[in-house]
Amino acid sequence: MNALPLPVALADVLARGDVWRGDTLASLPEATIPSGYPELDAELPGGGWPRGGLSEFLVERSSVGELSLLLPALACLSRADGWLALVAPPWLPHAPAWAAAGVVPERLVIVRTEREVAWSVEQLLLCGGFAAVLAWPDERIDARALRRLQVAAEGRPALACLWRGAGVAEQPSPAPLRVALAADEQALAVRILKRRGRPASRSLCLPFSSSLFRPGRSSRVVAGPALSVLADRIPAAAPAA
Amino acid sequence: MPIESLPLRQPPSAVVAQGRVWLGDAVAGEAGVCPGQKLATALGLVPGLTVFERDKQRERLALEGLAGWAGRFTPNLSLAPPDEILLDIGGCLRLFGGLEAITSAIVAGCHEQGYTPQLGVAPTALGARWLARAGGGALCADMESLSAALAVLPCPVTRWPPEVLARLESFGLGHLGELRALPGAGLRRRLGNGPVDDLSRAWGELPDPQKAFVFPEQFAAGLELPSRVEHAEALIFAGQRLFSTLAGWLHVRQQRVRRCTLHLVHDDGAWSAVPLHFAEASAEEGRFLRLLREHLGRLTLRAPVEALRLQADELADRPADSAHLFEQAPSGEGALACLERLRARLGEPSVRALALVADYRPECATREQDPLRDTGPSTAGEAPPDRPRPLWLLPHPQPLHESRGGPLWHGPLRLVSTPERLESGWWDAGERQATGDVRRDYFVARNPLGQWVWIFRSAEGWFLHGLFA
Repeated sequence: MNALPLPVALADVLARGDVWRGDTLASLPEATIPSGYPELDAELPGGGWPRGGLSEFLVERSSVGELSLLLPALACLSRADGWLALVAPPWLPHAPAWAAAGVVPERLVIVRTEREVAWSVEQLLLCGGFAAVLAWPDERIDARALRRLQVAAEGRPALACLWRGAGVAEQPSPAPLRVALAADEQALAVRILKRRGRPASRSLCLPFSSSLFRPGRSSRVVAGPALSVLADRIPAAAPAA
Repeated sequence: MPIESLPLRQPPSAVVAQGRVWLGDAVAGEAGVCPGQKLATALGLVPGLTVFERDKQRERLALEGLAGWAGRFTPNLSLAPPDEILLDIGGCLRLFGGLEAITSAIVAGCHEQGYTPQLGVAPTALGARWLARAGGGALCADMESLSAALAVLPCPVTRWPPEVLARLESFGLGHLGELRALPGAGLRRRLGNGPVDDLSRAWGELPDPQKAFVFPEQFAAGLELPSRVEHAEALIFAGQRLFSTLAGWLHVRQQRVRRCTLHLVHDDGAWSAVPLHFAEASAEEGRFLRLLREHLGRLTLRAPVEALRLQADELADRPADSAHLFEQAPSGEGALACLERLRARLGEPSVRALALVADYRPECATREQDPLRDTGPSTAGEAPPDRPRPLWLLPHPQPLHESRGGPLWHGPLRLVSTPERLESGWWDAGERQATGDVRRDYFVARNPLGQWVWIFRSAEGWFLHGLFA
């Protein structure tokens, strides 16, 4: 049988952003926003948090520094006059802390809703006016709603982040980037569960305490470890109190 | 027009003036009902014919409503009652992309408004009216094609008095071209000045100034519904016509609306109002409709609705804005329009932005405000606290248990910072729902699970107040 002429050259196919070789990371043509952590950027396709795609952050236990992971990117977006939205945040945002991190409080919108989280996020993404949308959906959000959100996020300039419990790590999700976050001694352990490109084999430890105690402040009590890439050692799930 | 201005009509129907049929609709026309017939004859032909007395007042209102809507095409328009509107489109052909484009946009728009237009385009006003009355939609861009088109028109399109038309018929003159070929002085003697002057106006030999339609200062438009509506969603379609008229009116006046009210008139005569607030003044029809859809989607009608009335309450001047040279407009409606819709659906207190307040007490340092009000930078922006502050605060400080002198929260908490004393607040002590005078020592602490928290010790014991996330 004669070899059929390929309608498209292989090189052209590989040059597309949504096609990648199994042994490398995808290079995303869409804009990404640097996370502020060079080690993390090296592991993320396109060198930063993706815009134009849903990202899921699976947090086993809150207040381990999970939001600080996004703060440099959020501050960067906010400084560029972007609107940020928090949909169904679990607690009250404390404006001085957000302002100190570089987020303009007047441009930070809080949307409080219980049943309409998915609808609100979809509208915020579709309108195209928001630089970042962070949402805390409850466990009942289903695959169909996630799929809709991914479609809404595609091709839009917004950073779309969903915060979910670590229990859903085994469930499939349409989000192109899934990151599990957990506490590690003085640091935040970041494990990339899913990304465009070869799967990540190790987890990163990013110092959370360094964002708490900046140089020049009363930082003599806690000195965070230097930014280091450690071997994969997510602590075993401790019994939740 | 006489029949389309009637709200509660169902085919077959006819409009009657002085005992004779003035006009029938398409269904009646097929059954043989024609203008000038006696009412009894028409009822004999179509027993189920719905008959309406002609209502000139209503026709006038409908014509004015349509003129308001047509303001989107040109600001120079004039009414020619009972059933004609003249649009001067000479200056805006290029804007709309040529004669064919603008006429088809006008016809399509009229259909959306619920009217079936007959249209004629000519360099003279009277010529255009005659062409429109003859039907056929002739588009004459110059005088040559106009005089060719006018020459073949039958004389009755001129709507001259019946005795003039009868006399022309007795002369054996059927078309305007034949009439025009006769010497003017003789015609003037036989027919009077009116018809001959009309001919000269139509052919552009006499000036024909038109009285410009003056757009009203205030916008208020009403619409009676063809049937009683019991579900709020069904009002969207009818509302669309009103908002379309509003958009035309705004365009002509170069204004935008910030607040408007849709009044629903119920069948028991009572009113209910649906206020529409826009985050930023807008003149865009699509945005009106999106917001209307959200509001009507939540509304439960307490009684069936018979009529709608739209009123513009607050207007703002429209700044001149330029369109993009290249196709670079961002997709989507923008942040403010989206917030406006979220607010319409979720309620106003559910969509808030933050602001800083210069207050030591953590629960008072954040103020929630309307994201759509631009209040400028907050007062306390210049000096951020030099001690760590948590991103999240608990709504109320949560008392913590103690064990061996230390606080507990999912295990014993280890204090990892020196204390920070925050106190005072005497000025609102004793006020309702105020934080009042506090005297607290705040610490950053961490529990064995690795969670970072912000706790304080006061005279009452240990409390959890914030979470570092």
